[in-house]
Amino acid sequence: MGGLQKKKYERGSVTNYITRNKARKKLRLSLPDFRRLCILKGIYPHEPKHKKKVNKGSTAPRTFYLIKDIRFLLHEPIVGKFRDYKVFVRKLKKAYGKTEWSAVERLRENKPTYKLDHIIKERYPSFIDALRDIDDALCMCFLFSTFARTGKCHVQTIQLCRRLTVEWMNYVVAARALRKVFISIKGIYYQAEVMGQLITWLVPYQFSHDHPTDVDYRVMATFTELYTTLLGFINFRLYHSLNLLYPPKLDSKAECELKEENEEDYALNSECYLEKLSALSASLARMVSSAEEEEAQLDQFPDEMSTNLGKREQKEQEAQKKLFDGLKFFLNREVPRESLAFVIRCFGGEVSWDKSVCIGSTYEVTEETITHHIVDRPNASTQYINRYYIQPQWVYDCINAKIVLPVEDYFLGVTLPPHLSPFVEEKEGDYMPPEKVKIMALQRGEKPAQEQEDEEEEDEDEDEEEEEDDNDDEEEDEEEDEEESEEKNLKKMEKQRSQVKVTPGKMKVENPERLEQEEKAEEKRLAIMMMKKKEKYLYDKIMFGKKRKIREANKLTAKRKAHDDAEKANKKKTRK
Amino acid sequence: MAAARRLKRVVASQPGFLNFKSSSESLSGRRKRVNKNKKKSWNKHSDINDVEEFLEDVRLQERTTGGLLAEKSDDSLFFLDVGQPKRAERKAAEPIEGKKRKGKTPRPLRIDLILQQDSLIPAPKDVLAYQQPNAKKLRRISQKAEQLAAKGVVTRRQKRLLSRRPVTKEAKKSDTEANNNPNRDYYDIWGQEQSTVKDSAEDWYLQQTGKKRVKRPEKLSDRPSVLPAVEVIAPGGSYNPDFFSHQALLKEAHEVEVKKQKEEDKLERQLAVNKDDTATEETVIREQVEGLVEEEEEEEEDEEEAAHDEEDEDAEGGSSLAKKKTERQRKREKADKIKELRRLDSKRQMDHRQQLFQLRSIKASIKQQEQSTEDKQKIRKANQEAEKSQPRRLGKLKFQAQDLEVQLSDELAGSLRQLKPEGSVLKDRFKSLQKRNLIEPRERAKFKRRHKLKYVEKRAFRAIT
Repeated sequence: MGGLQKKKYERGSVTNYITRNKARKKLRLSLPDFRRLCILKGIYPHEPKHKKKVNKGSTAPRTFYLIKDIRFLLHEPIVGKFRDYKVFVRKLKKAYGKTEWSAVERLRENKPTYKLDHIIKERYPSFIDALRDIDDALCMCFLFSTFARTGKCHVQTIQLCRRLTVEWMNYVVAARALRKVFISIKGIYYQAEVMGQLITWLVPYQFSHDHPTDVDYRVMATFTELYTTLLGFINFRLYHSLNLLYPPKLDSKAECELKEENEEDYALNSECYLEKLSALSASLARMVSSAEEEEAQLDQFPDEMSTNLGKREQKEQEAQKKLFDGLKFFLNREVPRESLAFVIRCFGGEVSWDKSVCIGSTYEVTEETITHHIVDRPNASTQYINRYYIQPQWVYDCINAKIVLPVEDYFLGVTLPPHLSPFVEEKEGDYMPPEKVKIMALQRGEKPAQEQEDEEEEDEDEDEEEEEDDNDDEEEDEEEDEEESEEKNLKKMEKQRSQVKVTPGKMKVENPERLEQEEKAEEKRLAIMMMKKKEKYLYDKIMFGKKRKIREANKLTAKRKAHDDAEKANKKKTRK
Repeated sequence: MAAARRLKRVVASQPGFLNFKSSSESLSGRRKRVNKNKKKSWNKHSDINDVEEFLEDVRLQERTTGGLLAEKSDDSLFFLDVGQPKRAERKAAEPIEGKKRKGKTPRPLRIDLILQQDSLIPAPKDVLAYQQPNAKKLRRISQKAEQLAAKGVVTRRQKRLLSRRPVTKEAKKSDTEANNNPNRDYYDIWGQEQSTVKDSAEDWYLQQTGKKRVKRPEKLSDRPSVLPAVEVIAPGGSYNPDFFSHQALLKEAHEVEVKKQKEEDKLERQLAVNKDDTATEETVIREQVEGLVEEEEEEEEDEEEAAHDEEDEDAEGGSSLAKKKTERQRKREKADKIKELRRLDSKRQMDHRQQLFQLRSIKASIKQQEQSTEDKQKIRKANQEAEKSQPRRLGKLKFQAQDLEVQLSDELAGSLRQLKPEGSVLKDRFKSLQKRNLIEPRERAKFKRRHKLKYVEKRAFRAIT
């Protein structure tokens, strides 16, 4: 019995945690430095399960870190650099105070700096790890690159971000990796597929910043510091994977084309190259000449693993990559140039703009071979005959639909069809807006008839889809239940049996597909019959849920139809 | 030096020597008789004033005139007085005045004059300043080097210097190059992945010299939240949305607003003044007459209460004064107790036996229990999963979601050109970081004044008014 009395809060979960202030003191850093270190090293606060125990009986809200993490931080060489920097600032202040300008200069020259390369290597041991975490980096870099140089953050950071984002966009163009675009009220969402990873990023609209006050710029700048380093290394690797030169160079041919006599008007000499790169209108220089490259690509070995479905998908992707091949676009000055140029170039189109809009335009408005002229005004003043005048949404919708959509809906002055989000993935039975249904029909290669018939067709389409999507759909009709239908069938059969008649024989036209379908349906029915009671119950439940979903979707479509009809009626009235 | 000094002394001792100072030596009456047989006493008692004075005088002469007066020629000491040269004075005076007026004369400052050296003896030369240590040797070496150079021979020392690698300045620059330098270089950081299998010797060396990096704990690589880095806005957030998805988004935003409003209303209700608490005429009067009218009633009540108390006491007293049990009673009670126990025991046994026949129902109940625990487990697991995507409480403040970005139907732009962006991407990113538990939600630090402000009227300001 006896022994020493156990002290409270010396064992258990308390020993795993440390408060932020204690950690800070242990590392001998100021709070901002500590915060920066944690962000750079990827160490985040942790919420303990039993707060009161960890907090030694107090319920005051505190920020906790895992003690092992902090112990790990103690080994970081950057901590020493932070301390050096602190001393540097102190010395600099002193020199300023004494107006010793030579000392100030000397100190400035020997300003302590640090590199994050080893941290990147440590946090992302392999390239794929880094690629998985690139979403954040891209968002942040794109965001910072649009900042005005007003002192909210270092100008150098803004420049670096701009450089990295331009490099990234050039890579996406070269690799034709873009998959989806969504123009939202917040900004433009892009999704690309790089080495099998889906990467989503958000680009703000230009000139749309009012700086919010409740955002900690220091924290954001620290994240950006880390992410610029990460993105740079990733860019390097990606460029090399495509055999491109890394600090990207324009193709020598393209460079000659882009050379103009009045370059100086656009930008300083030092910035000129970056501007040209960011124009995205020219291709990049490769380490090996591109002809060889293509040859090498041709002889691919047929992969045994790839299934039929995979092949079809691959084919689709290939088709999508060449969506705008052979098309020539011209951007009017009021459309967002960078976004459109990026998107069009990603799918193999050629693009140009007015000379005065930006550096790097390749051809003029008067060029005969232009196929599409993108305008965002109610009407264009001078129109050339042999090209389409369309609104910018057409480009984005084409990309999301993965086909070249008919241009009629996107002419000037026409009310545009809604811009649907490509990030919504409807499951079977969900409500789909009729526009989407139409696009899906187009994807299948069906031709829509006149507008009036459209809606009827949509309904048909829907039916067809249901049939197509899965065999399950057969049982999914609203009112009919599985078993009931079976019973009906049986009755019919019985009736047929009872009426004995001799009729002249007919040639039975056997539709092999139809037969196959029937067989499958039969198999399914049998499988359902063989189910155990428990499974059957579950199955019924699932089917009920599906049906309910469909019912709701149908309700919505009916509503939409009513809405559209009402609108049409209104229009007619107004016309009269 | 010494020779010169001796010369001076010799000159001064001659009878024709002129003294600068008038010597007024008055011999005091009697001389003390002292033994001067020891050096100490000799030093103490021998009178050297005359010598000192004389030497002082010599130094003064040298300082002021540059040499001994006795040695000077007469021309340098005297001049013929022929009255004052008047013209020269006038001429001299006028330009001075004119210059004074213009203020162009750079008259030396008085302080400079004071600080000027007025002694006519030149300062002694610092010999060491002109001497070079090892001059001879160095000269010899340089001569030899010249000779060798003329012959075209390169010394070993020079060879070594030449063979040394030049110090590259770039390497130094990269050390001090800022991390956000827009022209910084990148390299293939993941390039040496295959060659990471280092030989153990190097490993050992790094470990021993303390240069080995600490391995990052595995646990740090999993993320604190399962949420994706970029959450795409709902389809209703399109710049040209589909009607229904837009309505859905509006509804969502509306619900958020309603919730907020409800909370606000609740707070207001709680803070509102209760109507019953305000004074009415009735309550005022009652308060004024309190203690005057109701006394009698209270007294009655008091009496009643007292009566009750007494009764209670009686009851308690009765229980305390329980009668003593007789032997018989005791025995009977004991027997009753045993009987009861036996009955219970038999009942239990019976139950046990009966359970054999209840096996089915017992099984069912066990199954039910298991089912319920399983369900609970499932629910708990689901909750835990859901919790992973929830923002945790990491500090003083709770995470507060951003306002939903929504444009009303009449705010929607017809075309991309007229689109007005909603919300701020910067804030969105910041909130996303908080939501994913990467940083704790914080408030902007409030400005705290350390010392009280003091208002002082400025002098210049006072002068104007």
